[in-house]
Amino acid sequence: MTEPLSRWSTVETIGRGVQEAPVLRSGFGITLGLAMLGAAGRVSVPILVQQAIDRGFGDDEVDVGLVWTLGIVALLVTSFASVCQRTAVKRLGVRSEEALYALRVRLFEHIHRLSIADHNEERKGALVARVTSDVETLAMFFSWGALAWLLESTVMVVVAAVMLAYDWVLALVAFVVAAPLVLVLQRVQRHLLRAYDRAREDNAQVLTSISEVVAGAETLRTYGAGPRYAESTKRLSRRRSRSFVRAGTIGAFLFPSGEVFSVLTVAAVVSVGVWRGPDSGLTAGAMIGFVFLTYRFLEPIAQFTEVIDQTQTAVAGLRRVLGVLEIPVGPPEPRRPVALPVGHLGIDIEHVTFTYPSRGDDDEGPVLLDVTAHIPPGQQVALVGETGSGKTTLGRLVARLADPSSGVVRLGGVPLTSVANDELRARLVVVPQEPFLFEGSIAANLVFARPMLSLDDVEAVVRDLGLGDWLEGLPEGLDTEVGQRGANLSAGERQLVALVRAALVDPDVLVLDEATSSVDALTEVRMSRALDRLSAGRTTIAIAHRLSTAARADRVLVLEHGRLVEDGPHADLLQRSGAYSRMYQAWVAATST
Amino acid sequence: MGARPAPVGPGVTPVHLVELLAVLAAAVPPPPEQRTGQLRGAARLVRELLRHHKRTFAIAVGGASVFAGCTVASSFVIGLVVDRVIEPRFAEGTVDAATVAAVLGLLVLVGVVRAIGVVVRRTWAGRTNWGVSDRYTAEVVDRVVEQPATWHRRQTTGDLITRAGPDAEAASAVLGPLPYACGTVALLVISAVWLVVTDVVLGAAAVAVFPVLIGVNVVYQRRVERYFHRAQEEIGKLSAAVHESFDGVHVVKAFGAERRETERLAVIASRLRQERMETVRLRSVFEALLDFVPSAVNIGLLVAGAYRVRSGDLTTGELLGFVYLFTLLVLPLRIIGYALSEMPHSQAGLARIRALLEDPLDPDPASAIGRVEGGPVELVGVEVSHDGDRVVLDDVEVRVAPGSTVVVVGPTGSGKTTVLDVIAGLVPVRSGTVRVPSGPVAMVFQEPFLLAGSIRENVTLGAAVGDDEVAQALALAEADFVHELPDGLATEIGERGVGLSGGQRQRIALARALVRRPSLLLLDDTTSALDPSTEAKVLANLRANLTGTTVVAVASRPSTIALADEVVYLVGGRVVAHGSHDELMIANAEYRELIQAFEHDRAELADGPADAPVTAVRPGQGEGWEA
Repeated sequence: MTEPLSRWSTVETIGRGVQEAPVLRSGFGITLGLAMLGAAGRVSVPILVQQAIDRGFGDDEVDVGLVWTLGIVALLVTSFASVCQRTAVKRLGVRSEEALYALRVRLFEHIHRLSIADHNEERKGALVARVTSDVETLAMFFSWGALAWLLESTVMVVVAAVMLAYDWVLALVAFVVAAPLVLVLQRVQRHLLRAYDRAREDNAQVLTSISEVVAGAETLRTYGAGPRYAESTKRLSRRRSRSFVRAGTIGAFLFPSGEVFSVLTVAAVVSVGVWRGPDSGLTAGAMIGFVFLTYRFLEPIAQFTEVIDQTQTAVAGLRRVLGVLEIPVGPPEPRRPVALPVGHLGIDIEHVTFTYPSRGDDDEGPVLLDVTAHIPPGQQVALVGETGSGKTTLGRLVARLADPSSGVVRLGGVPLTSVANDELRARLVVVPQEPFLFEGSIAANLVFARPMLSLDDVEAVVRDLGLGDWLEGLPEGLDTEVGQRGANLSAGERQLVALVRAALVDPDVLVLDEATSSVDALTEVRMSRALDRLSAGRTTIAIAHRLSTAARADRVLVLEHGRLVEDGPHADLLQRSGAYSRMYQAWVAATST
Repeated sequence: MGARPAPVGPGVTPVHLVELLAVLAAAVPPPPEQRTGQLRGAARLVRELLRHHKRTFAIAVGGASVFAGCTVASSFVIGLVVDRVIEPRFAEGTVDAATVAAVLGLLVLVGVVRAIGVVVRRTWAGRTNWGVSDRYTAEVVDRVVEQPATWHRRQTTGDLITRAGPDAEAASAVLGPLPYACGTVALLVISAVWLVVTDVVLGAAAVAVFPVLIGVNVVYQRRVERYFHRAQEEIGKLSAAVHESFDGVHVVKAFGAERRETERLAVIASRLRQERMETVRLRSVFEALLDFVPSAVNIGLLVAGAYRVRSGDLTTGELLGFVYLFTLLVLPLRIIGYALSEMPHSQAGLARIRALLEDPLDPDPASAIGRVEGGPVELVGVEVSHDGDRVVLDDVEVRVAPGSTVVVVGPTGSGKTTVLDVIAGLVPVRSGTVRVPSGPVAMVFQEPFLLAGSIRENVTLGAAVGDDEVAQALALAEADFVHELPDGLATEIGERGVGLSGGQRQRIALARALVRRPSLLLLDDTTSALDPSTEAKVLANLRANLTGTTVVAVASRPSTIALADEVVYLVGGRVVAHGSHDELMIANAEYRELIQAFEHDRAELADGPADAPVTAVRPGQGEGWEA
């Protein structure tokens, strides 16, 4: 997948992300302010300690009443801070969930509108991953990483401010002594990331290896290779464990570094404070409060190192998500649509060339080259050619599942690029080679074509196509569940569903991508009967894989390496001893024994 | 988010623990709500897990104990800092430099030892955890390999992978946080003792708060997990719907249903959002509460402490040591709940692993097969049934003379493949006897299985075979395209051989069989994925080169059937007729019809893979007419 955004910096990526989900921005200032107030809860105890020591715990006498007053004030402040913190957390959480939802819906819509060329096998998995796992990394980040950044950074700011207010000299001492911690943690973090990347890769290999031993069990057994491959899996598993232990050991240094720096900083603060003494205006309470504040100040740093990894993962996920949104959508809707004429529609293919968007450096060249053909209304045409000849692509261009790189396809005289998508889909229907069925009942799959139709209408169409006996043979008629991707039905029955689906739309033009899979004889009979009835009177383009189909058509278009090499009825072409007759002879030779 | 095991301990946010749970919860079903005998169950679980790893675990617990001791010690030192350094300096104006150095030195020393304790604990906890996980993976993989095909056919691939991988990880996952939990218990005990010894009244009050904090955490933990599971289910549903919708994009586009599909998915996504919002609400309250309670306790300690200091029972330093210690205890108290929450996941993982390990070995059907040097393949009165009742093969008699070729023909579901499975020793017979020639047996399955690795590895499967022989086998299988690949024999092919066409994969699988110079070769519709001319060449090669090899093949193409010395015609699990192809064509009308039906299928102009992709076929890589 080309990812034009891969070079975007983190900041740019986040900026774009916020643009796509503006809900994140709304009221963020208020959330930040509330988090600040919430952070006050974390400094209430150190300040209370300072106040109590300096004012309540005198040299000989303890002023319990004052300590009570201070305690109550501190409790009130802490309660208030907790309410603010809660509100801030909730606001951030709610907004991010809304943003994720919006982003998902944006993705659904965009991906469905992408050209069919962007939906090929290689990319499908990636597209699904964008909407699921990549958005999930963002969700993970919002529930933990983002929260930590928000709360901990405000705590750090508030604590630092309080430290500076108490004694700026001591505050600076603390900052200076603690500063190298950031460098140390950064280093550890870098090693840690690399170690975990390595461990994850190793882990993926273990899973691959396990899945091979499991899925290939029969093969491995027949060749007696099971134990050998089990050994290699175990070796990978041990390597994976070593990688994780190594990463864990590196990670084990994160907290301890913070700990060591804490005691060093406290020691430095106390030394300097004691050295300067009370003459500098420092009090015992402020000193002790400072010790507490120093610990509080350093806590967030350790937390940050824990979420950096997650943050990077989330940014990478966001970058990929935005990359999908950058892919231009498929055939664009015309700005000023032109209505198709009423009645039967002819098809004009004029100088059509098509090249698939290149992936990577290898230039694949055009799949179709300067193809021209005029198909009058009502004609039955078969497209014939070897795999890779471009016949499937030509069918797709006629159905406007993609637009030609150059040249034009007209339907009823109107260029396809000027036909509104809704109108096109009502007048032209594609029956794909491997019809796709959604999990659900047959009825639901049929009605998918025209959601407004009643079940009676559907049944009528099924009977019109001569499929009444099939319907009666189904265990629960139209309510029969088809299973995942139609698995409960045979390949032939899935074809039947696709034919009915097409008939429900009652289109003027049919594009049939003929199935190559063989079906049982009964279904075969039903299918050809339904097909005949369906195509009768409609302009039909059949992407033919069977010679018999080509023989039945009014006209055969023969494609070779993307070029239209022959054009005419079956019988005529046979006599020309060209490409078509060569194919025919090859077929005859291959099937005779 | 990768399955990064959360490093557990202070310095690790509870956040990571929940994240870890997230990863685990994805693999493990929610734990059953049974609480009885939980402690005993937990003890048994830990004993079982630690059978071979007691020492590493003990070291980890040692590290955690050092950490616990130093935590209490550090609060004592803070007391000293206040009483011996700060108070004298600010109250009396002077303090002995040596005292300052000694106290601060002690502070740093305790801090460093405490840090070392953490490093030791985490490192050795990791070793224990992964060591145990490794052991389970190895045991499961060994068992999986040991079980014969009959057992494998009762399992689902995904389930077995889960047990060898994620379940093994889940089973041992509790060992990561367990030393920390042990350390926390030690910490609580030592703290409680120290607090009570220093000041009975205040100490007792502080200790009384421990269970409250743990309780709040446990309640939060359980409730959050419940929402979490629900959200996880919604994610599962969403992924399934997205998969389906994107898979069906052709249909969606063909009927202009893009908007409808987006709306349908949006509804599912909004349910996920709803579940997550609930979690957000719950979390915001508890997060705030978990910050508030310790602060409130600290404030209370200070106020109550004021009385004790006034009465002279406590020094200011000791009181502040109290407050400080309590601050240090907050995180361990928070985390201990999470640590224990691993238990059910580990139990579930271990239970699944044990179920697999304790499943008795299926008898290996291959051991019941007689092997005769240079003998024929013989099936006598063979009966095979699935699930105990459905008869797949019924009284099948087949005899294949040494070095000859027999093709099994029959309609779908007639039991053709089962005949091969029986000969290969993959499927047991209920009655009857099977005999095969001794020597290597090779079977090529209908669906070729290729491993991630080089082409060479895929052909040899680890057997000691030279490159010459590999090249020769590839040549016989008409797989010379290998030499045009970037790295020739060393070309890596992806998981399950992605990157090759069906026909290419099939030819490599065939070469794998041929390289062994098998005395018996079983072909299950092997050449059906090849285009006619390649198929013809492969068959000619086999005929010319497999003179000493007995071949039993399932076939549906007339050209393959024509290769047979004898045809066995199978219908409904019974041998209906046998003889040469020509004889059967004349003698058996049913057979003739079947062959004609097959020929009808051959009336395909292009023999490309059925799912011919939109992508242009690159020269030399497509299975078209190029051969």
